[in-house]
Amino acid sequence: MANNEKGYLALVLHAHLPFIRHPEYEDFLEEDWFFEAMCETYIPLLDVYERLTAEGTDFRVTMSITPPLCNMMADDLLRERFRRYYSLRLELAEKEVVRTRNTAFYEVAKMYETKFRRIRELYEDYYHGRILDGFKKFQDLGKLEIITCGATHGFLPLELRKEAVHAQIKLAADDYRKHFGRGPRGIWLAECAYNPGDDVFLKAEGIRYFFLETHGIIYGSPRPRYGVYAPVYCPSGVAAFGRDMESAQQVWSAETGYPGDHRYREFYRDLGYDLEYDYIKPYLHQDGVRRNIGMKYCKITGKVQLNEKAPYNPAEAREMAASHAGNFMFNRERQIEHLEHFLGKKPIVISMYDAELYGHWWYEGVDFLEFLFKKIHHDQQSIKMVTPSEYLTMHPDNQVVQPSMSTWGDKGYNEVWLNGTNDWMYRHLHKQVERMVEMANKFPSAEGTLRRALNQCAREVVLGMSSDWAFLMTVGTAKSYSTKRFVAHTHRFNGLYEQIMGNRLEEAWLKDIEWRDNIFPEMNYRVFSTEETQKAAKS
Amino acid sequence: MTSSGQINKHNTTPEAEHKALPEGYGTTEASLLPRDPNWMFVYWEITENSKKEARKQHGEDIFTKGRQVIRVYDVSDNGGSRYFDIQVMHDAKSWYVNVQDSGKAYCCEIGLVLPDGAFIGLVKTNTVSLPAGRVSDVTDEKWMAVSADFDKLLQLSGVEYIGKGSGEVAKSLAQRWEMLRAVFSRASSWGVSSMSSQTLHQAKPAEKKFWLVADCELILYGATEPDAFVTVAGRKVTLNPDGTFSMRFALPDGIVDLPVKAVSQDETDSREIDIKVTRATTTDGK
Repeated sequence: MANNEKGYLALVLHAHLPFIRHPEYEDFLEEDWFFEAMCETYIPLLDVYERLTAEGTDFRVTMSITPPLCNMMADDLLRERFRRYYSLRLELAEKEVVRTRNTAFYEVAKMYETKFRRIRELYEDYYHGRILDGFKKFQDLGKLEIITCGATHGFLPLELRKEAVHAQIKLAADDYRKHFGRGPRGIWLAECAYNPGDDVFLKAEGIRYFFLETHGIIYGSPRPRYGVYAPVYCPSGVAAFGRDMESAQQVWSAETGYPGDHRYREFYRDLGYDLEYDYIKPYLHQDGVRRNIGMKYCKITGKVQLNEKAPYNPAEAREMAASHAGNFMFNRERQIEHLEHFLGKKPIVISMYDAELYGHWWYEGVDFLEFLFKKIHHDQQSIKMVTPSEYLTMHPDNQVVQPSMSTWGDKGYNEVWLNGTNDWMYRHLHKQVERMVEMANKFPSAEGTLRRALNQCAREVVLGMSSDWAFLMTVGTAKSYSTKRFVAHTHRFNGLYEQIMGNRLEEAWLKDIEWRDNIFPEMNYRVFSTEETQKAAKS
Repeated sequence: MTSSGQINKHNTTPEAEHKALPEGYGTTEASLLPRDPNWMFVYWEITENSKKEARKQHGEDIFTKGRQVIRVYDVSDNGGSRYFDIQVMHDAKSWYVNVQDSGKAYCCEIGLVLPDGAFIGLVKTNTVSLPAGRVSDVTDEKWMAVSADFDKLLQLSGVEYIGKGSGEVAKSLAQRWEMLRAVFSRASSWGVSSMSSQTLHQAKPAEKKFWLVADCELILYGATEPDAFVTVAGRKVTLNPDGTFSMRFALPDGIVDLPVKAVSQDETDSREIDIKVTRATTTDGK
């Protein structure tokens, strides 16, 4: 079967959440984003990889696990809180199996019980609370390629100082080495935001490739000979892979509309609202307000009111996911055959998605992926799944093109992260970076409390740089939380800066901030120094 | 975390909490950021000291008699140091700058233009290189493609989706579903329905066991400014409050011509889209 393929498919999933961890509260609403994604996306994906490997199904997937996500997955406090989260869900699911006996909701109640038991089994018995080890296992087996991302998902085209770009990349690569035992081969630039020239900092860390939205490649210069169906080399020698819109559309398209099928799970009917208050209250947050708790019993059903939704049938939904996977594969086969004929070369199709689309937004999306991997392995010969590294090893001869500035956001450039809702941030952010660089240059080898304070300053700057805050302000969800976060990091940074420069550090306050914002325990503030940045740029 | 939300027109102001941050940092400086091929964002701070300095050099009344402007320089290699001015209010501290030519390098200088035309620069920004926003004119001998092939390659690469991040795609699909739903629930503006016209009234042939009926209809939909005047094939269309519209037509064999025209409320601007649909039905006659 070797070499019969007509082209390659690289499935790329971007797993990211901003760093949200509030030890100062017993119970914090926004931490749920992480726990939900753990239960609905990250652990179910590992479950799929476990099953495929046990069955002997070969597969390839490329997945970013961003440094904030790595830091949350490895954090003791969040690990404890996650245990509390899934244990409560499991307790409720077990009660529900009894309550729903002889009703139309019994099957779906059983589904949640099985699901949360499996989550507990994987999390505790397989990975002993360290799910990064689970991902590492599949990377070491050669099935999964884990890539990194800017240290805090920083939006690089809106940074004025190269020191900031260097810090985002260098911290990320160091964090990756710590968790996965080798350097990252690829990176997902946050928001696929590329600023020409920043690739030299990737090269300095040994990163061989990154991803771009379609127009980043096709508006590149000179004209890319194979469009987005072959990577190009930036002048630095780092490869850029472009997103295939046809397969992106396939999942979102109105005609096939995978996630909108009426048999799939309805997102907006949730037990948090459906069940009697006293019964559900122990599973809500401490404020007792009804919210989604992630257990949903209905299917989309059709164009009916929320109160007319029919009971969810897990078996029927799984069958549909299999059928959609078949449809997706069929379309990729035709696409790849057509491209191979047209290009006179084996194309590589890059299908890029947010990981959380699968499982969290589209509940059956993880099943869909499992079926897709199996079908591609067993049922066809045109497509070979690869990671970008494998492709570059097989096809090292690629055109040199300077890609265009671009992002995957609305309108294709920087407007989502720079508009009337968030442009006020940059004045403060840039000032922090400037001050951070000033301090890193002024103190080449600080020790003791001063060193701790400088490292904490660096943590506050990078936390403020997360593209998530600007994004959330734009879309208007969690606008107040994201504003508060940006303001808090700015205050903490400015306070520390004044204390350091005035030589009057208050250690108790420093300790308090270290306890709150503990991302990157091994932080070295010197990543912001001009000297290190210039060294990296010249490497 | 979904990363490609779209810009919401009804959400344009910052959360009040940001006022807790300092107004300025006590240094005269200005920065320029790229937004897209034709837009940049500039912010600046000019301290009282710098203003005092300027007054001392150029005259006490320069801030009252001069206009504050952003001088935008084209600093590309072939730009020939061309510039233009944008007048801004004296208390402005940031501005969005629109430039005609994409793909060039720009920098800005905040300053004053005096009644005699003299320019007093107060602070200059960094330089920003904007993306071209289009296919490059440069081809590569070693990797050259035939130009007709290149057009096809662009299509295959999804040139039509440029700028539609996944969030935007989802939004446009959501709108489409909303429209279809509006049509099917007869809530649409025109309420054209040919549902009763042919197909469903064709009775099932009684004497034959096996049978087939099939027909086809046409749905046209679109969106414009909510206060625009829109016609389809010369007939006025009533818009939904959000500016969308949709119609459902019977679709007979032959060519249907549906010119869609929108005129802005002040009648200074208009757009036209002409849609032609051809239908050809054949049956095996059994």
